[in-house]
Amino acid sequence: MDDLLADFVAETREMLEASEGEIIAWEADPTDRARLDTIFRFVHTVKGNCGFFDFPRLASLSHAAEDALSDCRAGRREADSALVSAVLAVIDRIVEMVDIIEAGDEIPEGSDDALIAALGENSDLAAGEIDGLSDLVGAVEEVAAAIESAEDGAVEDAAEGQEAPRAVSQNAGVQRSIRLPVDLLDRVMSGVSDMVLARNDLAHRLRQAGNQPTIDGPFERLTTILSDVRDAITRMRMQRIETLYTALPRLVRDLSADLGKQVLIDLEGGDVELDREMIETVRDPLTHIIRNAIDHGIEEPSSRLSKGKREIGILSISARQSGNTISIVVSDDGDGLNEERIAAKAVSVGLITAAERASMSRDKILQLVFEPGFSTAETVSNVSGRGVGLDVVRDNLERVGGSISVSSTPGVGSMFTLKVPLTLSIIAGLTVEVGDQRFAIPQSYIEEIIDSTSKSLDFTRVGETALITFRGNRIPCLSLAEVLGLPSTDIAEGEHTMVLLRLASGDLFALAIDRIHHHGDLVVKPLAPAVMNCGVYAGSTLLDDGQPILLLDVTNVAAEHGLVSDARTRVLQAANQQDQDTDEALSRAMLFTDYDGRKRAVRLELVQRIETAKAEDIDISPDGKRAVIDGVILPLVGLPEGQKPTGKIRFLRLSDETCELLYAVREVDDAIELQNALKPVEDDPLVEALTLVDGQTIALIDGHEIFARYGEPPELTSKPTCHLPDSDWARTILGPLVSAAGYEVVSGSDEAGDIAIVLDDSEPDTSLTEGEFIRLRSQPDAANNDGSIYRYDRDGLVDALRRARAGGTR
Amino acid sequence: MNDLMVMVEIAGRRCALNAHDVSSVIELGVVTPVPRTADFIAGITAMRSQSLTVIDCRRALGLDPDKFPTDHRGAVVTIANHSYALMVDRIDDINTATSEVENVSGGFGPEWSRITTGMVETSTGPALLIDLALLIAGPESLEAAA
Repeated sequence: MDDLLADFVAETREMLEASEGEIIAWEADPTDRARLDTIFRFVHTVKGNCGFFDFPRLASLSHAAEDALSDCRAGRREADSALVSAVLAVIDRIVEMVDIIEAGDEIPEGSDDALIAALGENSDLAAGEIDGLSDLVGAVEEVAAAIESAEDGAVEDAAEGQEAPRAVSQNAGVQRSIRLPVDLLDRVMSGVSDMVLARNDLAHRLRQAGNQPTIDGPFERLTTILSDVRDAITRMRMQRIETLYTALPRLVRDLSADLGKQVLIDLEGGDVELDREMIETVRDPLTHIIRNAIDHGIEEPSSRLSKGKREIGILSISARQSGNTISIVVSDDGDGLNEERIAAKAVSVGLITAAERASMSRDKILQLVFEPGFSTAETVSNVSGRGVGLDVVRDNLERVGGSISVSSTPGVGSMFTLKVPLTLSIIAGLTVEVGDQRFAIPQSYIEEIIDSTSKSLDFTRVGETALITFRGNRIPCLSLAEVLGLPSTDIAEGEHTMVLLRLASGDLFALAIDRIHHHGDLVVKPLAPAVMNCGVYAGSTLLDDGQPILLLDVTNVAAEHGLVSDARTRVLQAANQQDQDTDEALSRAMLFTDYDGRKRAVRLELVQRIETAKAEDIDISPDGKRAVIDGVILPLVGLPEGQKPTGKIRFLRLSDETCELLYAVREVDDAIELQNALKPVEDDPLVEALTLVDGQTIALIDGHEIFARYGEPPELTSKPTCHLPDSDWARTILGPLVSAAGYEVVSGSDEAGDIAIVLDDSEPDTSLTEGEFIRLRSQPDAANNDGSIYRYDRDGLVDALRRARAGGTR
Repeated sequence: MNDLMVMVEIAGRRCALNAHDVSSVIELGVVTPVPRTADFIAGITAMRSQSLTVIDCRRALGLDPDKFPTDHRGAVVTIANHSYALMVDRIDDINTATSEVENVSGGFGPEWSRITTGMVETSTGPALLIDLALLIAGPESLEAAA
């Protein structure tokens, strides 16, 4: 195919895409000149371009359409629905031919007379003719399908680069885009996944080897780059569901016109993104359900009016993302599913027995429509009766790990819910241990982790069901070991670490595990069907050391144990939640045990985080204790005097929004509510009040006093700067001393410091600082008393720096 | 005829896998067990960054693997886009089939007939040609069919 032809194909497609929506809009309002003009331009351009090539059928078609449309433009003819249908049919034919041209095939012999006749004025036959043509269209569709498959499942992909080369544009669509085989995308994707694994492995080894500044820097960079690339790759595979939506208005329009019904389509959630392949997987099922809804669901206008509904039926399609699943809900306000007819049919084809039917709930019966060999339509129409039943729809969805369900109210409408996984193959997850085996849980489900030592956890058994009480709520509890049928470990009941999981439905449950291992990014790999079938796992992933572990399917596990509530209880729960919210006005405090073994509490608003640091990170100097957390030096209180701590130390990081300090605690107990009266205390200024918690006297730390005494803004932000002269001596010998005195060192003529140091007789440059100058001299003895300091007089220099600092910060 | 076969021993019997289906033979390192699945699934293991489902072929036949030795290597096969590692008694050599797939009157016994497409002659004697898709379906599929 030469370049000229490729241009023609590309241009035609581009214009078509632009005018698709216009055509439907034009039909809604045939007097809309702007729309008419757009369509006219399209047909006209096609006609004009055909002149360059030898496509007589294309030329005659576009010519006929142009004639009809120009009559409308000139006002010689009214645009009616017959004309619109005819024009649409012509445009469809043009598209098919363009497809054939693109594939490099000859346009088959055939006649377009019927189509052209349909364009003619007063053609009552038009609609019927077009129907008759559908066979022909079907044949052409087959050719198109063959072409599709010849393209070997290629997908279109937006190219990031500039102007794609012309050779590529042979197959190119509208935008600057290229086609890539899915295989290639998958290879890149799995390559990136492997890179993430290799990075994790490396990170693991680096951690073991300890801090190595020369390696850590580049490694950080690698991590950043990798996460960028990963994002890009993920996006490359993602597509907005809009791409699926664009074709739907036309589909609905054609179908409803065909069936003499009036249907309004309402699309929502077009910005939800979905894996490209998943979009392709959803396309057919969605089309099928829409066909069904219009064919069987929505009634004819007259019948709707007699039932007191609006004559226009509404078909609404909305997409939502919840966690790792996309739900697409197709609902119509039609007649709903007929329970009796479905049941009767199911009994007659032997799916269920009459006895079984009697004991089945309506909801269960409705789901039977997804069973093989099921179709309630008494007459097989050419719309939905294509030999493909809902069972195929379900199979296709289940093949990719999705599901479909239906709910329906007689006379009010029905709602199909399609669920498909996002197939984001990298997710954040938590690795937990049971016995000696590890499992992963997707982070998105995790609400909270309760440490086994936490006193606030109350474990009880009611019958066989385990319940935990946490913050006053009773939460059902599953033991992961029991769920998986693993031998129970030696950890006593109720001593397990609990992971609170919140399902997409809002239900909360606790999963008892032995230990938390770690959390991080997990590359999820699919599992073989034999393993998937047991319903407990969603995939597998590799740990840093290359060991494979299984990813739990939280939703399924919960459903299996009946922990997913129905909609009604969910509403109740929401109401309870609100009650709780009002209770929250009570002040809350964090209960802890300090290093003297006393129970104390601090108001929860002050607590920013619970930190853990090693004893080496703590510095004890005469003027106070400090600890380094996240590269920031913070004052530290709560450690007993004269005792060097060992091992790991936990802190509460308190903040009054400007200052921060660390309060060392032996044990963090839990957040409590301050329900009882607070009794002020006189003798200990650090205690605001005493109060009773569960019958115990607890001292509440006085936030004001503690910050007044110990609080200081984080060291990092308050460091004054000191300008040093530009010499080797200043850099290598003076510099460290100045930094040790708490200054940040700057040099060079373009940077100013809070203070500056000058050597010997050099002129103090006032552009370097607005503060004090410290003059150093090279000779031990001062020639004249100029206030200078001998440059090796360490005490004198440190003292001067400290004075300058005190002066500067005051 | 003249197809290459990977010769393996399963439950003491000589079997052949079509060499086209076997992508590699790997050392079976740590196999992570998968609780709550059929017992013929020995677990999952990793090959480079790919995860493989390890199938114990003896159990897939409904036989007891403890009565047989187990090779520390596994044959990696891909069926319906999923990769599996087959745990067998022994992985032998690669051989050439010297005959078409034949059937023997009377069959090979119910367990074996389920997973085989027939017998092939090789230079080391006759061997059962294993149908991988049937093998990984496990012994339950036999009960379901019965």
